[in-house]
Amino acid sequence: MALFQISEPGETTSIDAQGKQLAAGIDLGTTNSLVATVRATSIHEGDGDNRRAETLADETGESLLPSVVRYCENGKIEVGKIAKNVQLDDINNTISSAKRLLGRAVGDIKTLGGSLPYNFSDADSNVPKIQTIAGNVTAIEVSAEILKTLKNRAEDSLGGPLKGVVITVPAYFDEAQRQATKDAARLADLNVFRLLNEPTAAAVAYGLDQKNELDERIIAVYDLGGGTFDISILKLNKGVFEVMATGGDSALGGDDFDHAIATWILQESDSDLTHHAMSEARRVKEALTNKDNVNVSLESWQSTLSRAQFDKLVASLVKKTLLACRRALRDAGLSKEQVHDVVMVGGSTRMPVIREQVAVFFDKPPLVDIDPDKVVAIGAALQADVLAGNKPDEEMLLLDVIPLSLGLETYGGLVEKVISRNTTIPIARAQEFTTFKDNQTAMTIHILQGERETVEENRSLAKFALKGIPPMVAGAARIKVTFQVDADGLLNVEAEEETTGIKSNIAVKPSYGLTDTEIEGMIRDSMDNAKADMEARRLREQLVEADRTLEALDSAMKTDADKMLNEDEVTLLLEARSKLHDIKENSQDSVEVKLATKHMEKVAEFYVARRMNDNVKTAMQGQSVSDFADTDN
Amino acid sequence: MLDFKQNYFSLFGLPETFDIDFTTLGSAFRELQAKYHPDRFVDANDKDRLVAIQTTGFINEANETLRSSRLRARYLLKLAGVDFDDEVDTTSDGVFLMHQMEIREALEEVGNAQDPLARIDDLAQEISGEADALKDDFVDQLAAKNLDAAKEAVLKMKFFERLCQQSKQITEQLEDDLF
Repeated sequence: MALFQISEPGETTSIDAQGKQLAAGIDLGTTNSLVATVRATSIHEGDGDNRRAETLADETGESLLPSVVRYCENGKIEVGKIAKNVQLDDINNTISSAKRLLGRAVGDIKTLGGSLPYNFSDADSNVPKIQTIAGNVTAIEVSAEILKTLKNRAEDSLGGPLKGVVITVPAYFDEAQRQATKDAARLADLNVFRLLNEPTAAAVAYGLDQKNELDERIIAVYDLGGGTFDISILKLNKGVFEVMATGGDSALGGDDFDHAIATWILQESDSDLTHHAMSEARRVKEALTNKDNVNVSLESWQSTLSRAQFDKLVASLVKKTLLACRRALRDAGLSKEQVHDVVMVGGSTRMPVIREQVAVFFDKPPLVDIDPDKVVAIGAALQADVLAGNKPDEEMLLLDVIPLSLGLETYGGLVEKVISRNTTIPIARAQEFTTFKDNQTAMTIHILQGERETVEENRSLAKFALKGIPPMVAGAARIKVTFQVDADGLLNVEAEEETTGIKSNIAVKPSYGLTDTEIEGMIRDSMDNAKADMEARRLREQLVEADRTLEALDSAMKTDADKMLNEDEVTLLLEARSKLHDIKENSQDSVEVKLATKHMEKVAEFYVARRMNDNVKTAMQGQSVSDFADTDN
Repeated sequence: MLDFKQNYFSLFGLPETFDIDFTTLGSAFRELQAKYHPDRFVDANDKDRLVAIQTTGFINEANETLRSSRLRARYLLKLAGVDFDDEVDTTSDGVFLMHQMEIREALEEVGNAQDPLARIDDLAQEISGEADALKDDFVDQLAAKNLDAAKEAVLKMKFFERLCQQSKQITEQLEDDLF
């Protein structure tokens, strides 16, 4: 044991009063983020470990930091509640749910786009950029602002710089999303000990990794947050956490339960005060956690909602989550009876109906002792404490497996797996390939992630060329491709022609010290998405667009065709309509559908203009009120 | 630093045989991981961290090789001086290949059976029985130093590995359809 610590002059120390290294766990969430640490709580008489994991609160005593960042005109950046409070007034410059965009390509975003109120920059970049009054920002930068705020909170509270952090990510996060999370941490000047899967962190918080009475433990982590639901099935075997299956619904959360109550309030009170109904619904939902009946009021209308009534209102939502649980179990090849522990995560699991139904489904009471909002951050803090070396006698070692197989494109658009899923990491593995043409001097190394057999069905991670292969007959060159995956699941690939020693490599993982432009360049490389994947997505989007156009036309014509159109015009519109309808039903080509939709819109332009002139004010007012009511929660 | 030249069996303190004790393997694996995992070196310099990644990579590779019966058999042959790439090398036993085709056809026709789930269960059992027989054959041939015959058994194991995967996929598909 050292009697004193030597520190560099001018450097504040990363050590606390007990001589422990300062470390923290960060839960970087979609709706809220938290930071937690392990530290001495109160001074006890006698010895014994009085260090505990606890979340750190801001100056107002609030642990939850809303994951909302606002960019102001004067260059100021606001994070958390202050940004969330003005979100509706400054919707374009206030970014929430940035986590949904992390590690996504521009093409991916379009599928999410409908629900996001931001303006994406058209700049030539595959990394989506959100236009704000202070310039374009990426989801990585937005996340970095949240991390910086939490870092400052932790350092203020602990009285020194953090030696390192553990950041949690969803178990289903792929390589690009994990990399983006690490990049955000780098921008926030954080040293990342490790990325940890969120469900694993929750299991660690409950000490499930310390229970050795079973060789193998199956743990279900039920995570119902504000806007997302995740179910993860983990297998714990002597400290090795294996993610056996994940599932859920990225558009189901506590907000939907509020909606259910709000809808009931609006019906019962015969009112259309959506906004007020939503805030009343939230209050009622929370009050019902501890009471059997709650008074409900909306202006002059008054009533009571019983828990039994509430349970009925939300029964279909609860059932949806249980169906996802059933599916995840099936994916894992397990039955409900094989699950040893059920861990509850996310504020919405406070609802008694959720706890009851989950207990019935798994036939055992779920673990609820730790605050479900904080449990992930607490698990991350425990792991950070061990990694910082504060528990030299601690045996805890979490081994992760890669969630998806990694492979290479081979001849014929097929994928050869180099490292299969559920392989314990870190791992390095080499595979030999050869040229398939005489005098072939270059070879493209295309790295893919996923379980399917063809390139189109997997996610493309990166592509690079090995050049300068000396001319040889087909099959004579010996090209060794080495995959190396580190403990965070990040990949490095190297290709070498063995007869000449010509090498080429790509760090799908950027090394430290790179500029942001370089990071971005690399992310762009790693996002070179599978073409077919994107085409399929584009087609789906265009079909939705076509449907929308057809519906709009139908409803307009139903309302006022007789007043506004003559017979020729009706024929013209109906012809264009049937053309678009035919293409929509039969086409496999997104461009064709898009052109047909545009054509339809063009033909209908005169009609739209006529209707607008006639009816401009009412149409616009009706639109904006209902739109805002829906997104306001 | 760990000796990367040592063979996988001695790494885990196991005898060089096909039939190994998985409990011993499991605890030896964990002990090595606890010592060499990169998480134990978060504070070290870049070189030591890289060494930690490579060392655990070696340990993981050794563990996976010994956990799989086919890879373990191939590795035993490699130690005996018979190294081959079973991605390229394959068996030329005509009778065996014929039988493989029969099983594959049977698998493809499962959907037409009266009770497809019962049929696939029967087939899966048949496949795993034959795979077990191959393992016994390998152990006998290796003991008798018939290395060519032992290699033949390993090449055939690869076919059974694929059949097992295929039958599992079909089972899942059937269950999905019924659900």
